[in-house]
Amino acid sequence: MVLTAARPRRMWGVNDGAGSGLYIPKIAVVERIVDETPDTKTFRLRFEDEDFASSFSWEPGQFVEVTVFGVGEAPIGFASNPMEPCPFELTVVARGKVTRAMHALKVGDRVGIRGPLGNCWPLEQTKGMDLLIVSGGCGLAPLRPLIFHVLANRNDYGDIWLLYGARTPADRDYKQDLETWAARNDMYVLQSVDVPDGTWKQHVGVVGSLLPLVKLNPEETAAFVCGPPVMIKFVARDLLKMGFTEDRVITSLERHMKCGVGKCGHCCINHLYVCTDGPIFTYQQVRTLYEIDI
Amino acid sequence: MKVGSAFILDKARVGEFIESLGSEMQIVAPKRQFGGDVAFAAIKHPDEISWDYGNDIHPPKRFLLPHYEVLFRYKTNDSIQIEPVMEERPQAIVGIRSCDVTALRQQERFFCSQICDPHFESRSKNTVLFSLVCNQPREECFCICCDSGPYLFSGYDVQLTDLGDRFLYEVGSEKGAEVSAPREHLLANASEKDLKLRDSIWLNADAKFQTTSYLAKAILFISANEVPQSVWDQFGAECFRCGSCTNLCPVCSCFNVEDTKDGDGAFTRWRYWDSCQFAGFTREASGYNPRATFGSRVQRRFYHKASYQYITRDGRHGCVGCGRCVVGCMADLGVPSVVKRLRRAVSEQAKLEAPA
Repeated sequence: MVLTAARPRRMWGVNDGAGSGLYIPKIAVVERIVDETPDTKTFRLRFEDEDFASSFSWEPGQFVEVTVFGVGEAPIGFASNPMEPCPFELTVVARGKVTRAMHALKVGDRVGIRGPLGNCWPLEQTKGMDLLIVSGGCGLAPLRPLIFHVLANRNDYGDIWLLYGARTPADRDYKQDLETWAARNDMYVLQSVDVPDGTWKQHVGVVGSLLPLVKLNPEETAAFVCGPPVMIKFVARDLLKMGFTEDRVITSLERHMKCGVGKCGHCCINHLYVCTDGPIFTYQQVRTLYEIDI
Repeated sequence: MKVGSAFILDKARVGEFIESLGSEMQIVAPKRQFGGDVAFAAIKHPDEISWDYGNDIHPPKRFLLPHYEVLFRYKTNDSIQIEPVMEERPQAIVGIRSCDVTALRQQERFFCSQICDPHFESRSKNTVLFSLVCNQPREECFCICCDSGPYLFSGYDVQLTDLGDRFLYEVGSEKGAEVSAPREHLLANASEKDLKLRDSIWLNADAKFQTTSYLAKAILFISANEVPQSVWDQFGAECFRCGSCTNLCPVCSCFNVEDTKDGDGAFTRWRYWDSCQFAGFTREASGYNPRATFGSRVQRRFYHKASYQYITRDGRHGCVGCGRCVVGCMADLGVPSVVKRLRRAVSEQAKLEAPA
């Protein structure tokens, strides 16, 4: 069976009744803000409209367009447990105009949300397989819902390996979750940092250097990879060398994005729109495209 | 009134016809401007229409996808209040050329497919296209190579062909029939002779093209990524990065979205035309730009216009042969000359690679 990214059950503008409100966000309230790293925060958001909130659902890998009123809109991936679709969490690195404005938000502030947007990780198709999850830096965010999903449906999957790399121990997102997951006896968690501090006892190096430690049969495994472009590129190549077929290397891609619904033309990689055809792609889908260096 | 039926609109009655139409909707038509150029504009009186014109250098796409369009307004004072904005005014674009009709139909397919853009859909639903066959293509026109002119067999609501003292008036859609019916008394039935005259005028126009573009070959090369990178880089070196090719293109539709402040706590979210030829088009917040070189942006433009991958998506290649990029480009990167150079470059490459 050739793996492909999955079509979600619900998608903004397709079957959620956005209708003439395609570009009009729903109002959500910031319920909680957690500092993950010096430049990363996780926001818990709940829709003001209770009917909309109770019918809201999304799947791991999907994202939303967040409006900071008075500033603008930016695409951010869901980062929380998909079994509790609302309130949901978004993990945001302060980088651009909108994400910096998000970091200035306080509990009780209102933002606008359009979503869920995009496709999702193939969690149905990969049932019965071993999972290798490789992430770098803030690339763990779109994989966190996937991890919650497979742990909640633990018997559906074989061995689970989580590889996580960051610049320094302090730059790791979800430190509490990582501890919880590492303590479980039904999954393997390997962590690596580029620059260790005095107390770091685990691996030092790029995340790809953890791959030789993994004991998996590539023929029965699906690899989920997310991180900076250069990390995806090298991890994907290492995985292919290990014997993974191109459809078994599944990744979440990013591009500068405006509308989120396939109209503005910014996020195209060749003929593929990251917002509606993605953000989840298999290596097989994108390897021949000249507009991506992978 | 049946779709596919043909009538005669006497030129002496065109004024009355336009006035009657104008009482129901805004009329957009080619109008001579102060400097002497003809541009599409809203008109109040039928005499303002300049029937004898080549084409407007600015495509009429702006009447369906304006340069600047408000998506919604909002206030942030006490609570967040969002006020949707939607344009629903009916309009007729009279005298639009076949190439531009083809382009607008392609935009309609793109904007109103699976995920429907409500703003574009609302304008397009309220727009009726009266196309005017080109009896005399301009020097830079090559629609005949792009299956989009100088006359059409479908796509128009009403198609007019200038027969000298009268127009042949062909109804091409239900919408065309609907707007024609109340003015049927101004129309006469077309005779066999009128249709024969139309055919000869059409054939005569076909013979007058001065520019050609063998797009099919370029589509092959671009789709298979056979064009040497050095050729794109050369185009990139020649490009002035002004964006006029995409702004003047009737098929291009990329836009940017921005929020601006109107006053105390009042904001507008609007969209405006953007261009894949600008560096900021793909630059991410981190500073990383996946389309960093000038050549890669020119390549992007042609990949979107002429690759099987996009033809499969959009149902058609992205060039209608209007020739505006030929006129607008300060370098020489209009579609026909780029296509010509791509063909030459690939055949030279093939010669180099062929065994001696």
